[in-house]
Amino acid sequence: MKQKKTYLLALIPFLVLCVLFELIPIIYTIIRSFVPEGEDFGFTLANYINIFTKPLYQKAIVNSLIISILSSIIGLIVAFIGAKAVHESKGKLNNIFMSILNMVSNFSGVPLAFAYIIMFGNVGVMTMIGSNYGIEFLANFPLYSIFGLLLIYVYFQIPLSTLLLIPAFDAIRKEWKESNALLGGTNFTFWTKIGVPILMPSILSTFSVLFANALAAYASAYALLMNNVSLLPIRLSEQFVGDLVQRPEFGSAIAVVLMVFMIAAIMIQNKLTVKKGI
Amino acid sequence: MAYIEFKNINKFYGDNHVLKGINLKIEKGQFVTLLGPSGCGKSTLLRSLAGLEAVTDGQIILDGEDITTKEPKDRNIGMVFQQYSLFPNMTVEENLAFGLKLKKLPQEEIHERISKAIKIVELEGKEKAYPSNLSGGQQQRVALARGIVMQPKVLLLDEPLSAIDAKLRKSLQLSIREIHDKLGLTTIFVTHDQDEAMVMSDVIHLFHDGVIEQSGTPVEVYTRPVTSFAASFIGNYNIFEADKIAKLTGTEWKTKVAIRPETIMMSKAPIANDDRFKMEGVIKEHIARGNVLRYTIDVGGIEVYADALFRSVSIFQDGEKVYLSIAEHNCVAI
Amino acid sequence: METNKKGAKLAIVVIIAYLLIPLAMTLIYSLFEEWIDVLPKRFTLTAYMEIFSDPVFWLSVGRTVLISIVPILLCTIIVLLAMYVTYIYKPEWDKYVQILCTIPYAVQGVILPICVLSLYTSVPKPFNNRIFLLISTYMIVILPYIYQGIRNNLHGIGANKLIEAAQMLGASKFYAFFHVVVPNIMNGVTVSIMLAMAIVFGDFVIVNTLAGGHFQTAQMYLYDVMKKSGQRTCAVIVVLFVVTLLISACAFFIQRKKERGTENGVH
Repeated sequence: MKQKKTYLLALIPFLVLCVLFELIPIIYTIIRSFVPEGEDFGFTLANYINIFTKPLYQKAIVNSLIISILSSIIGLIVAFIGAKAVHESKGKLNNIFMSILNMVSNFSGVPLAFAYIIMFGNVGVMTMIGSNYGIEFLANFPLYSIFGLLLIYVYFQIPLSTLLLIPAFDAIRKEWKESNALLGGTNFTFWTKIGVPILMPSILSTFSVLFANALAAYASAYALLMNNVSLLPIRLSEQFVGDLVQRPEFGSAIAVVLMVFMIAAIMIQNKLTVKKGI
Repeated sequence: MAYIEFKNINKFYGDNHVLKGINLKIEKGQFVTLLGPSGCGKSTLLRSLAGLEAVTDGQIILDGEDITTKEPKDRNIGMVFQQYSLFPNMTVEENLAFGLKLKKLPQEEIHERISKAIKIVELEGKEKAYPSNLSGGQQQRVALARGIVMQPKVLLLDEPLSAIDAKLRKSLQLSIREIHDKLGLTTIFVTHDQDEAMVMSDVIHLFHDGVIEQSGTPVEVYTRPVTSFAASFIGNYNIFEADKIAKLTGTEWKTKVAIRPETIMMSKAPIANDDRFKMEGVIKEHIARGNVLRYTIDVGGIEVYADALFRSVSIFQDGEKVYLSIAEHNCVAI
Repeated sequence: METNKKGAKLAIVVIIAYLLIPLAMTLIYSLFEEWIDVLPKRFTLTAYMEIFSDPVFWLSVGRTVLISIVPILLCTIIVLLAMYVTYIYKPEWDKYVQILCTIPYAVQGVILPICVLSLYTSVPKPFNNRIFLLISTYMIVILPYIYQGIRNNLHGIGANKLIEAAQMLGASKFYAFFHVVVPNIMNGVTVSIMLAMAIVFGDFVIVNTLAGGHFQTAQMYLYDVMKKSGQRTCAVIVVLFVVTLLISACAFFIQRKKERGTENGVH
């Protein structure tokens, strides 16, 4: 029982790692975002003002938020249908479904973008079939746009959100459905009045995971459109790497804005969940 | 000099005073039980002897040596836990060999000690089994074997049977006692089950709220409780305030009195025995508890509990009039 | 109830189809020379032969394996050491470790590598070594998964009781933690390790940001091939996807084995 503190040595590697590659980089980025461009010291809000006033970056913010929120909502709706279906039907199909979800959750980034290119790209299979058979919608499919990107984002949101929601449905007990039926409720009243409210915390936390996932996603957008799309991660990265003039202070401010969005999503979700008292 | 001695042990968890100046001596070879409800400090005292908890102040002596600040690994104490705590990745044999290997004993001796321990707990043939393939009772036997194979100075058993179902518990109680008698190992057993304590112990120390309320042999503790807690925890005594017992018996009492329910005799007609206190009452209700019927009787507005064997001649109905008698020596002043 | 079940089955089948179509198209595209009408024409394995005979491909796969394994091993060891302290000696510190291990969620994707890059490009050697930065950044990215895996398994097996039991048999706390507890949680932790492996294996953004052209991993190779040949790109995607699947399959089987193990423990 001697109070020798040598065991504290075991904590050092962890602390060194976190301090050097987590805390200092983040803090440095936050500080740097307030430094005037091209200078070593000083304080300014100009970097932030630029982000929110210059149309190029305003557009990036709007695009990023739209694509993150839309892809999360669509992903959630599909996930809800899928998880509810798993909840209602037991058997082999469920196992197959789970395996496929696990499998395709690895299919993202560059490979996913390319799969969409060979389907709907300029010389994609669907595009060719569309022009051969005069199907306008396929022939002129707008893949290289925010809409096309949204399609890709929805694809990688679905397996993630379904895998997160399936366990939540375990909380729905059969007796509640039976009581609902005995009290004269329909299937619809059950889900709107009981099921969804009970699942709300899980739905909200899944939403915040999806939102953060989409907001920070870079590889698919980059593979599809290089730097020709106005999204925050793309705008962020090009301030540090690539052919353009590098603007690290301004880029730091973009990074901080992204972090704030991420944290806000988590905080809002926590607030909502706590308020409901669940 | 006692084999194990706790000197003025105090233990605080923050502001919570869980052991309040415990002084306790244990003789070599004894089977000692620390009995009490959960949260009374009995496990904490055991764990402080093991070295798994540090005491806030006080001294622990084992075999003439002050071990208060020693590491658990240097105390040579064996311990069996409620949750068995067998190493799931090791076979029975490997579990038993674990401590012996750390002691760097020669291979032959390890082998010899293991087979002896396995024989004692009657698990021959299970040497190569993994804990997950054994029943709860078997796992607890392995834990026991793992404790004794180290030939410790003292064996500690921390509620080892509370996770085991009632039938098996009885037989394990007997085997633990047998193993103790065979090896003569000083054993300290912690339980909240008074029946278990009665069956197994040489000496019982009854704990309540961080202090030892009473120490003695099972018979002493059972028949002569010294505090109202002891009386209520052991044997479900009737406890009467001085004025109430005076009203019941018609004589004067200076203290509270405890009376065991089974010492109260019940009959349908008045008894003519002048040595006993006599009273009349009405049966309020009755509950069957195993082979015993527990009656609640209203004696002039005072509730009295009395036990009768199920098979006894006279069975009373609720609302029936009953004559009670109590021998004076069964009224324990507390 | 019956129609309900049929509806559920239909929903599952539709989602499965939606998810599998891009994968299936990629696979078919890699196996045929031409696909400009409903049916592809002229089956061939040339694309696969080409990449399998390309030493650059093998080198990049080798680099990916290396860059996945090193940070995962180091990260697991570092977190185990930290948990040794917080689990046994300082449980009140666990919440701070947990916070440190949750922060990476808020700097997902492109954010963390950019923060690291902007800080370390101007510092002296060896800290600006790209490989060193890459490995360290990966360690932070997988930190949440490794931490969760270790923590859940520690609580799952009741590690504190095992440590006490080992101590009573003459083991030090350190020995008890690393020789008794760690072997018992390793099965469970391997699941998290495999998950982390799949994440690092599929990473493009971090390696592209931090190492650029200096360290060509399989994902970077894929990005290069993309500009040259569609068919070969699809073949690379298929091969990499199969490797990722094998990694997750390992995790899955370990998990199953573990569950079966605990099932046995019940009766």
